[in-house]
Amino acid sequence: MSRFQGANALKRKRPGSASDALTDHDQAVLDVIRSKQDMGIYQRDIKREIHIKNGINLPDPAITKCLKSLVTKNLIKEVKNIQSRGKKHFISVDFEPSNEITGGAFYNEGSLDTEMIAQLRRLCWNHINGLQIATLEAVTEYINRTKVPKVQLSKQETAELIGALILDNEVMEVKSSGTGEFASIPVGKVCYKCISKRAHGAEPKVGAFASIPCGVCPRISYCTPDGIISPKTCVYYNKWLDF
Amino acid sequence: MVTQYGIKYAVHLITTHFGDLVAKVCECLLRRGPLTLQALVKFTELSSSQVKNSLLVLIQHNCVQAFLPEPGDHGDADKLNTQYIVLFDNIIHRWRFPKFLNIVSEKLDEQCVKLLEGLLQHGRLTLKQMSDRDRARLDQKEGEDVILDATRANLIKLLNARFVERCPAAEPVLAKPTEEESSARKRGPKSAKILEENETLEHRVMDAAAPSEALRFLLVTQTESAADGGLDESNTSSLKAGVKRKSDALESETESGAADEQVLLWRANFEEFMRRLRHEACIVNLRARLDDGAVIVLRAMLEATRSAEKKVKTEHSVPLSLNSIYEEVIKSVEGRNITFDRVRASLVQLSCPPFVKAINESYSIDFKKIIELAQSDEVESVVLKRYGSDACKMFRLLSNTGRFVETDKIADSTLIEKKETPMVLYKLWKDDYLHMEKLQLTGTRQSHFLLWKVKKNTIREHVLDEMFHAALNLNLRLAYEVEQEKELLSLSQDNRDKRLRKVKLLSQSQMKLDDAIMIFHDF
Repeated sequence: MSRFQGANALKRKRPGSASDALTDHDQAVLDVIRSKQDMGIYQRDIKREIHIKNGINLPDPAITKCLKSLVTKNLIKEVKNIQSRGKKHFISVDFEPSNEITGGAFYNEGSLDTEMIAQLRRLCWNHINGLQIATLEAVTEYINRTKVPKVQLSKQETAELIGALILDNEVMEVKSSGTGEFASIPVGKVCYKCISKRAHGAEPKVGAFASIPCGVCPRISYCTPDGIISPKTCVYYNKWLDF
Repeated sequence: MVTQYGIKYAVHLITTHFGDLVAKVCECLLRRGPLTLQALVKFTELSSSQVKNSLLVLIQHNCVQAFLPEPGDHGDADKLNTQYIVLFDNIIHRWRFPKFLNIVSEKLDEQCVKLLEGLLQHGRLTLKQMSDRDRARLDQKEGEDVILDATRANLIKLLNARFVERCPAAEPVLAKPTEEESSARKRGPKSAKILEENETLEHRVMDAAAPSEALRFLLVTQTESAADGGLDESNTSSLKAGVKRKSDALESETESGAADEQVLLWRANFEEFMRRLRHEACIVNLRARLDDGAVIVLRAMLEATRSAEKKVKTEHSVPLSLNSIYEEVIKSVEGRNITFDRVRASLVQLSCPPFVKAINESYSIDFKKIIELAQSDEVESVVLKRYGSDACKMFRLLSNTGRFVETDKIADSTLIEKKETPMVLYKLWKDDYLHMEKLQLTGTRQSHFLLWKVKKNTIREHVLDEMFHAALNLNLRLAYEVEQEKELLSLSQDNRDKRLRKVKLLSQSQMKLDDAIMIFHDF
């Protein structure tokens, strides 16, 4: 038996509670799930684990029955796993599912919370823009103060948010020189700065190539001067030149 | 870097400017590399005189250079014949003549612009020919000598600004490559070898043909003593332009001054124009990122170091001290009210990301970095338009890290739904924007991972080829629209205006696209 099970048993001393009424099979399933701590386990893997640990070969319907009874007794819960949302994943109520299962602060019910991310990104940008030069700590503290994220964001998670802003070319990473605008920041520390002349969420300036039909043409490799697709007969050109 | 569509574009240009025969000879040289006259006759199946005349046209317009290869160890008889090498860049420069003229009109007067226009139109001219052109253009009343003097003065102005140079030798003998060069070539991968070899050969031929730096921008007047004061002054300053002056060469030049006016050929110095356009591109790129102060400082630095640049693709400018930068800044009108501290602050701004590198209190412009950034902007813009913002984010991530990244890791870093990531990546991969590798793991459940990477060089080439293709398309479409316009002249005013707007949009796009091509090809 795993050592975790012993620890959990101590934690959950509830004389006369529902666990007393557990069948052997229920207990075996519960033990396996508890042993997985905050990672939880797939329904289909439970059978294998029980076979390894207890040498019992439980049929699938029996396991389903145990799971149902454990859920109703409020000993385990079903969680969504971002890796494979279709599969049933169970975790003991003693644990909060780990970030690997939920995906972290930016996930809700196993899928990416795009609305919240957009809101957080705007907050990040506004704060960096207001401060002109911002450190990771300053942004993290500010974001957590706003209470927009459901859980407190770690520095790592804020860095991910800013990272996405950098990839969108709205913010840039700079190293403090310790002078001028960096006066309050130690030399060499990584800071963030908004790219001037670019409002948040604004479309970047279109390049010369991308602003003509050929630059965005999905058929350019089929286009030849006298072919079926040719610049003289091109529909994209016609559209572009149609004032 | 000459791509397939680059060749097509160049051939199209030669066809429109000089007709089919010349274009055929040019295409043959572009596709097969340097050839002798006999070989050209054989491959093009034209008559010897046709090929000869086509070559003369191309040489006159600086698109082909003749050279004599040095007899090799094998004593190959064929190799002793004159060979002809095509200069791809100079062909493409023909689209840029309006830009070149524009630069001169900003710096010098109308007369100089006219002079350069003549040079661009005719490729190469002697002073006598230029003066004849001026006479035909101007009032006939003035005497021949007066016009010759005026033309000479204008030419000297252009030479001082390095906009015009002496033509290269007609048929230089090519020296054997130095050991350094040949060993450098051996190291390259096989596929790139042919193109690379052609390019290094082109460099070697052009180096052999180039007049010495002392003579390049030097015009010796017919009778030095008879020249008036003003002319003399400008003349001596043009002497200063030469860095390594060979006194014996100078002497012989002075003696043959009179004959020079008839024989010595001049041409536009494309290198100087490209350098200025490159600097302008750097400024445009920086302006999108930094404030006006930083732009003024960069412009001043470019102005101060331009003459020290040896080739167009210089990676770093000559280092300048803070004091000399400030001195240069206050020379310009817009820089006059900038304080010393602001220049210092702007330099700090310029050094992160490092557009300007500071070493021991002196500052040097990192051209390579600025140009690379301009290239990335252009590529990312295409990715954004073709594949959307998520794809652009992933592309930027991969291009910034420069190494393989796993699919899930990409989703995490870009905050994009894990399920959608592979689909977007796949689209980019299918169109050659990404490189993908499968990693097979034996044992555990998840048996394979997909790793993605951006190969910058491949993409640069790919995008450049598409740009040449697009430039060709714009040209063809423009020609088609102009053709239509002729037919529609009888139509209503409204329709005609529409046509004119179309032609205007097309030609503007052509110029803008050419700016982008320069960033990828010439800078």
